[in-house]
Amino acid sequence: MWAPQTLFKPDSYDDLITGKIPALIVPEILSKTECSSLCSKISNIQTTNGNPKKFGTSLSSHIYEKSKYFSNAKRSNDSLKKLFAENISPLIAMRETISKIFQKQLTTAIENGTSYSDAVIRIHDNDDSVHLHRDNSNFEMGDYNVSNLKNQLSAILYLQSPEQGGELTIFHKMWNKEDECMREPDFGYSSTLIEDVHKTKILPIEGNMILLNPKFYHQIESVSGTKSRISIGFFFGESFKNYLFSWS
Amino acid sequence: MSDIIWGTVTKIISTNSFEMNVSHQKDTNQDGYQDVEEINFTEIDIPSISVDENSRNVSQIEENLKDKFVKCEISGRNSENRLVCVVSHSGAGGY
Repeated sequence: MWAPQTLFKPDSYDDLITGKIPALIVPEILSKTECSSLCSKISNIQTTNGNPKKFGTSLSSHIYEKSKYFSNAKRSNDSLKKLFAENISPLIAMRETISKIFQKQLTTAIENGTSYSDAVIRIHDNDDSVHLHRDNSNFEMGDYNVSNLKNQLSAILYLQSPEQGGELTIFHKMWNKEDECMREPDFGYSSTLIEDVHKTKILPIEGNMILLNPKFYHQIESVSGTKSRISIGFFFGESFKNYLFSWS
Repeated sequence: MSDIIWGTVTKIISTNSFEMNVSHQKDTNQDGYQDVEEINFTEIDIPSISVDENSRNVSQIEENLKDKFVKCEISGRNSENRLVCVVSHSGAGGY
């Protein structure tokens, strides 16, 4: 059965790349107390900054604005460092866990001496959802060196679970170039692409990290309740054997 | 307000024209458009494609535009029946 794997097995990395498994769930890489402490800080910063739903710089918002991406990434990387200064850093926890389970070194990618964005924190409130999409820098981000990295995966750590909903649904269908005719003008793809396709749902449980192959179509179900769904994530890919580089 | 269509680039014809499969049309468009249209672009927002037409070549444009989803803001048709457009990339397929 095509279902997420919770226990790590030596061949999990290859199984994610080939799509044999939809995702790998790494439970409790942060404790509930650590997550709660981080979310309090995030909420405070949100309140004083006009309630943004995203902290951090993402490549997909800068596909053809390379210099702006790197200057924004520098600023947001500094902000994230400050945010995590007095707490355990979820970024370090994620990187160390990935390095340990895959036996590969992982650092943030650098291009021309400048660092890519470390991560993005996303906040989904009541009724928020994310439409069907896939993530594929190999195809879409040709101006950036990370587009040449092989075996790209996505890492997401849940920092706060919503009261209800907010599940990550992964469909057993990998993107291919012909699907571009099913694009939606603003974001993502038409839902007709995944009609009758087998799917699996992952609950956003705080402290759990999910690793998935983002070329498989996925979406975030609608959140309900007063408690937001808060997650932090980045992508990573292989440059040469046993060396992984991340970006967001 | 100019008419807008979206779709994927299927073939590069020259250093300022391509063929596209039209998948979306703005609801308030004044005209209707075929499923396949030839586009003559006067401006494009992809930095790897030089503004100066003489500095471009077809393979470079192919590398940057082929199979990509683009938005075309239409200003009219030229004598070759191509739509004259300002072309830009549109949204993103993912995060």
